[in-house]
Amino acid sequence: MTGLELVLASALRLSVPLLFAALGEWIAERAGALNVSLEGMMLAAAFGGYVGAVATGSSALGLLCAAATGLSVALAQSGMSYRLTVDANVVGLTLNVLVLGLTSYLPAPTEPVDVPHLTVPGLSALPVVGGALFDQPWPAYLLLGLAPALWWVGYRTRWGLELRACGDGPRAADASGVDVPRRRRQAVLVCGAFAGLGGGYLAVAEVGLFNPNMTAGRGYLVLAAVIFGGWTLRGTLAGCLLFGAADAMRLALPALGYQFNPQLLLATPYLLALLTMTVLARRGHGPAALGVPFRRGLT
Amino acid sequence: MRSFGRPVRAARGAEAPDADAPAVQLQGLTKRFGPVLACADVSMTVLRGRIHGLLGQNGAGKTTLMRMLAGLVRPDAGRILVAGRPVTVTDPATATALGIAMVHQHFSLVGRLRVWENVALGGRGRLDSRWTRREIGRVADGYGLLVDPDRRVDELTTSERQRVELVKCLIRAPQVLILDEPTSTLTPPEARHLLSVLRRVVSDESRAVVLISHDLDELAHAADEVTVMRDGAVLARRSAAEVDVGELGRLMVGDQLPAAVAAPAGEPREQVRLRIRDAWATQARRPVLRGLDLRVRAGEIVGVAGVEGSGQGALADLLSSLLPLDRGNVEVDGNPVPPGRPGAMQRAGVGVVPEDRHVSGCVLDMSVAENLAMTDLGPVSRWGFVSRGRLRQRAEATIREFAIGGASPDTPLRLLSGGNQQRVVLARELGAAASVLVVAQPTRGLDAAAVEHVFARIGGLAAQGVAVLLISSDLADIRRLAHRIVVLHRGAVVGELTQATADPQRLGLLLGGRPE
Ligand SMILES: Nc1ncnc2c1ncn2[C@@H]1O[C@H](COP(=O)(O)OP(=O)(O)O)[C@@H](O)[C@H]1O
Ligand SMILES: [Mg+2]
Repeated sequence: MTGLELVLASALRLSVPLLFAALGEWIAERAGALNVSLEGMMLAAAFGGYVGAVATGSSALGLLCAAATGLSVALAQSGMSYRLTVDANVVGLTLNVLVLGLTSYLPAPTEPVDVPHLTVPGLSALPVVGGALFDQPWPAYLLLGLAPALWWVGYRTRWGLELRACGDGPRAADASGVDVPRRRRQAVLVCGAFAGLGGGYLAVAEVGLFNPNMTAGRGYLVLAAVIFGGWTLRGTLAGCLLFGAADAMRLALPALGYQFNPQLLLATPYLLALLTMTVLARRGHGPAALGVPFRRGLT
Repeated sequence: MRSFGRPVRAARGAEAPDADAPAVQLQGLTKRFGPVLACADVSMTVLRGRIHGLLGQNGAGKTTLMRMLAGLVRPDAGRILVAGRPVTVTDPATATALGIAMVHQHFSLVGRLRVWENVALGGRGRLDSRWTRREIGRVADGYGLLVDPDRRVDELTTSERQRVELVKCLIRAPQVLILDEPTSTLTPPEARHLLSVLRRVVSDESRAVVLISHDLDELAHAADEVTVMRDGAVLARRSAAEVDVGELGRLMVGDQLPAAVAAPAGEPREQVRLRIRDAWATQARRPVLRGLDLRVRAGEIVGVAGVEGSGQGALADLLSSLLPLDRGNVEVDGNPVPPGRPGAMQRAGVGVVPEDRHVSGCVLDMSVAENLAMTDLGPVSRWGFVSRGRLRQRAEATIREFAIGGASPDTPLRLLSGGNQQRVVLARELGAAASVLVVAQPTRGLDAAAVEHVFARIGGLAAQGVAVLLISSDLADIRRLAHRIVVLHRGAVVGELTQATADPQRLGLLLGGRPE
């Protein structure tokens, strides 16, 4: 493998968990729900997914467990902040810390799991991109169906329209007869399932083990990717690929013989996220009511 | 199945909707918001085939009453009957199902969405853009309302938005259509067109329309019946035949104005301190000032009266440097001041006590002393550093003078009571006004003692030669303090009264937009 191939392959590999979670966070933010607990959802799901995969011996069932775990964290988030009205960010941060503590404390098995790769015959042998695009663990290919499906749901269905209205004009949506808190709860739940897939993929398909705090801030990177993408689905996914690539550079540069301070390298994706946010957040294309609680009757 | 709302539920039990019953009967509706009684035992009947005018000053409870019908506010007591059947309107979706549609005072469209998406919002079944566009075209053509279904609402003008709202309501074929002050932001031809559309709504299809307004002429011409509300209660009902505009004006304002308690302080001098010439401005794409002319002389207290949307808020914004003008100019003490440039008015000697003192007037987590010095650090600093000693000294003097209860200079503002927080902002701004003082809603949230004190201070400043502009929706304030009362309507001055010529009828007529 050449250096470029190596970097490309690992960039894509590292992006996959981000991409799953970003699909969910995108839909949640379009509904006006900012999920700081994304990190917690991913981490809990990494744990749940790995344990599930070991227990059942099936990576598919493991991923299903992961989605369910993400969903249960989302259930706590949505219940607390969109049923009761506890500040969503406070709930999110609390959940993150709680999940970090619990998953570090609970005993996890140590047996590695392995997920078969799906190799497209012929194409995977293409120079440069072949390995990156056509030789990945099979769950990665779910993205090819899920991303367009989610776009279609967001822009072509009534549910999606109502979600977007909840993010941009909750008061107007309410006056039109949309149940705003309910739509936001639903969006957070969908987000939980996607974040769960992302976390599960990380543990089950990518690493094959669970390590404490193995998501290491990937949830926050996804939050940054949504901002990077200007709240469009395409842009959000591009942001994930960019952050994935930055992560890949971090791994690849020393392997290619370049010497950098490893701690500094570790920080590059996050620095990049910070940089893009400061440059791009100013454009202010976010949903008008992102993170603003809604209650009928308050004018 | 695609539709624009939940289908009207089949009649409960044996009671079929009664075609002869009034479209809506409200019986004894009561709504309280904390200490405010917004609607007190209000009853009203809306007949089919009629335009029912609902008249009242700001805060009379008109919007609240109609929001109860539209499912946005739950009544504390009372009954609602639609087509003779008692109903509970729990939410807007239920209202739509019952055939009730409302065009809100502050529009309820989602700016980021396209017109057709907004119209489809709240509907049921598959989201079908082609069908929705076709239906929009059908309804829009039928009523002569021009809308482009593919534009984003953000890009539309006020009157275009209103047409979208109307189409959105009409496409649901409502039995009752409510419009909350629809004409207050329209130009006269646009308003006439709207009223002709409403006429068509009720005559073609024997539906009912409720038209909220405080424009007397408009109601006299367009409405078949008028209900007048004041302070949360219904005062009178009149049919078109018996409508007397003068009487309506008097009913709206109240039978007696409070007497001018004290003669306004001092005599105005000759020197003109504030002069606004032919001011035109738009805010959020709505025209808010349309040729406003105003002069305030030194030592003069001018009260600015007006209903919501008349331009009171815009005038305060203009003098706070928050509103640039499209045309016209502002002079303070004879010097032109660029409108809308941050801090320009303040530097020219204009002090403003804002209406929402809580939101824009102070920082709750900073101390009383800091809040007092916030806008002008000059007197408390030395060589560019704030001197803590002077800061405290000045704060202590102000606290004593304004009797700000429970405060030391270091108390965080948050710990003070609401009334005392207001005094802090008042004290600061009253102290800062060199040439012109603008006070918006001076008595809001103050107790009687505080009101007396503030009034005395305002009078004192006027006596020293400051020009005072008193912007208030409470006529009693204006009546008590002002030498002269200027009435705004649709962004311009419709008339002027002195203490001697201010009687309820004239004031009511002017507030309703009818110059003498
Ligand atoms: N959501 C609310 N919370 C608290 N007070 C309210 C609310 N809505 C209206 N009010 C108060 O109720 C009174 C009536 O208001 P409103 O119905 O808007 O009057 P109008 O439409 O006639 O101007 C006002 O004093 C207003 O401040
Ligand atoms: Mg109103």
